[in-house]
Amino acid sequence: MSKRPLFAFLVTILSIFVLSMSVVSIQAQEEEAEPEVLPSPTPAIAELGTGGTHISFWNGLTGSDGVTLNEMLAQFVEENPDISVTTEIVDWNTLYTKLQAAFVAGQPPELILLHASEIAQFASYGVLKDLSSWYSDGGGWFPVDDLSATTYDGMIYEGVPYGIPLDNHGRGLWINTDAFERAGVDPDMEPPTTYEGWVELFQQLTLDVNGNNAASPDFDPENVAQWGFAVGEWPFVNWYSVLHQHGGSMLSEDGTTATVNSPESILALQQFVDLVYTYNVSPPAAGFDTWAGFAAGNVAVLPTGTWFRNFAVLQTDINWKAWPQLQFGDQKATWFGIHTFMVPATLEGEKLEAVERLIQWVSEHQVDWASSGQVPARLSAQAQLDPETYPTNILLGQTFTEYGVLEPKHVAMLELRAAIEPELGAALNGQKSAEEALNDAAERMQQALDRVN
Amino acid sequence: MSETTGTVPKSAVARPATSRLHLPLSLSAREALAAYLFLTPFMVFFLIFVVRAVITAVNMSFYDWQILRPGQLYVGLDNYVELFNDYVWWIAVKNTIVFTALTVFGTTVVALAAAVAVTQPIRGQSVFRVILYMPTLLSVGVVGLIWVWLLSTQFGIINYLLSFLGIRPINWLGDEALVIPALSLTTIWWGFGFPMLIFIAGIQSIPDQLYEAARIDGANGWQLFWYITLPLLRPTILFVTVTGVISHFQVFGQPFIMTGGGPGRGSYTVIYYLFEIAWRAFRMGYGSAVAVSLAVIIAIFTAIQFRLIGRRVEY
Repeated sequence: MSKRPLFAFLVTILSIFVLSMSVVSIQAQEEEAEPEVLPSPTPAIAELGTGGTHISFWNGLTGSDGVTLNEMLAQFVEENPDISVTTEIVDWNTLYTKLQAAFVAGQPPELILLHASEIAQFASYGVLKDLSSWYSDGGGWFPVDDLSATTYDGMIYEGVPYGIPLDNHGRGLWINTDAFERAGVDPDMEPPTTYEGWVELFQQLTLDVNGNNAASPDFDPENVAQWGFAVGEWPFVNWYSVLHQHGGSMLSEDGTTATVNSPESILALQQFVDLVYTYNVSPPAAGFDTWAGFAAGNVAVLPTGTWFRNFAVLQTDINWKAWPQLQFGDQKATWFGIHTFMVPATLEGEKLEAVERLIQWVSEHQVDWASSGQVPARLSAQAQLDPETYPTNILLGQTFTEYGVLEPKHVAMLELRAAIEPELGAALNGQKSAEEALNDAAERMQQALDRVN
Repeated sequence: MSETTGTVPKSAVARPATSRLHLPLSLSAREALAAYLFLTPFMVFFLIFVVRAVITAVNMSFYDWQILRPGQLYVGLDNYVELFNDYVWWIAVKNTIVFTALTVFGTTVVALAAAVAVTQPIRGQSVFRVILYMPTLLSVGVVGLIWVWLLSTQFGIINYLLSFLGIRPINWLGDEALVIPALSLTTIWWGFGFPMLIFIAGIQSIPDQLYEAARIDGANGWQLFWYITLPLLRPTILFVTVTGVISHFQVFGQPFIMTGGGPGRGSYTVIYYLFEIAWRAFRMGYGSAVAVSLAVIIAIFTAIQFRLIGRRVEY
């Protein structure tokens, strides 16, 4: 072959490679903008209503829950034509960044949706409004006795409520009933209540390409066709639940000492690590898309959150049911969080009145919020949910009310999470032992605690 | 026309010459003044948005500066002392250096190879140039998401193709040893288009007579490249590598989107760590110390490049 055709051939091959990747990418960009994709893409910014009193509302509901809330707010502005709302949806990490800059600039939005676990941090800087007069025990409209004690406590920092709860969102298990049947396991069985029981179940459910399960001596762990479990999605909240099941905690009661390297904590993490490396019933945490794996029928038991409901309904053909959070320890416990409305401390007058009206309206329509997959915060709204339509909301909502655990209230909670989450990942990916990872996490957390306390 | 011309007074015709500003300056001084005047609009913005920001960042690095706290606490060099004892910082520095080295080397080689290929007199030359440049037009978000799928162990086409060679699925983004090379591969694919254009310009500026003379002396294609193209491209290579080092030392989007810094802290880079410190931990002072330290590291690496490559450059 002479040189010129050789060059042409090589350039053509390179170009085909680059072009094919580019076309895929550009197609992906275009697909993002198509409105008919299900579920509807959440608009980054939505202008709702034309009323003269304008509310700017920032939240991090990038999933289908953002669409649900926008639909509710569209109804609100229809009933309150003097108010218009602009919702701006950005992912949570970016939202924290934007909020800090906005507060410093003196131009925060009129309304924010954050998590209860972030109240302490923002309230400690004095940027959130005291909402005690909105609660019934301060003479306001929100009935305190319509919340679980844990939920109401989550709104309070140093004796003052700084938020109005929208929901309880937390963890549960999604069961692929077809995968159970493929493994010869009855999906209507009662969930195990011990670690050994769960391991046995996961072993039965984990199948290699030859159909052998993980308890079989012929099992081939290098060629798994169906995993019993998957540890990869947000390991922090799985570990946090089991930590409390063993009676452990992240911090000492006075919030001055990191206790994440306690024996209970190491045991909790080790149990998840063993599912990957000892029992071969879960893929490693990194590099495995758990939702896609479940949708493809490759994961039998998926630990995930209430927010998974719409994905399961709209984007999978899987026959599924929900179970409560798994139990490895002696006590029942499950992590949950609270989406919480917060108001900047500087908001006054007509806009404050409009924001209060909006929050009150949404609070009184929390039943509608259930279609997002989350559990309404108000107990009366939970009681109104239709069991046929909202089985997961009802089942998991009960667990949050009965034995749900919130993250500690601490002014450095985001930093503490940033200290521990990579260490959990390191253990679950075989880079460190559970003890080593948690010792490293404890050291970094203690540095933060010593600095801020 | 002639009437109009005839009504113009002589003084008006002469005005451009007589109205010119005459400063008691030498020619070189006047040229310098003109240059500074042209630079002034840029310098105003540069001083406000870059120099002022840099000075502020350096100043903040001496404080326990929490963005939302009224009143900040002066801590002197404490942030720097803490930084040099912070093992996560050193992980981030190591990852960043490895990423930068792989990416700059890979980008330079691929871009140079592509530039040499598309400057050959082949049919559809312009089309190939456009195609090879296309990935550069994509956003980091799209590139990151697409490559997560391409490299997936479950559904990725790369692992699928490797399976035909009998290779088991490789956990590109979940293996601590592979994650930085995988991010680098992604970045090379995304970013080689622009340096390719620079190399094309460099190649086209090499006089044809040099090649003709070498061919007459019996040089083959490889010798032409090695003894003519490559030496005369040294200024271009210096430019591409220096700008590449500065750019890739600040990598953020790829690990943020593709790995979240994981597995563990396997793909923490300096800017990723800066983001976490400054915006998740609210520690702007410590984050500024990270930024200043990174700037010093980049300056050192740039100086080394000029020493190694720059002194052999003929412009």
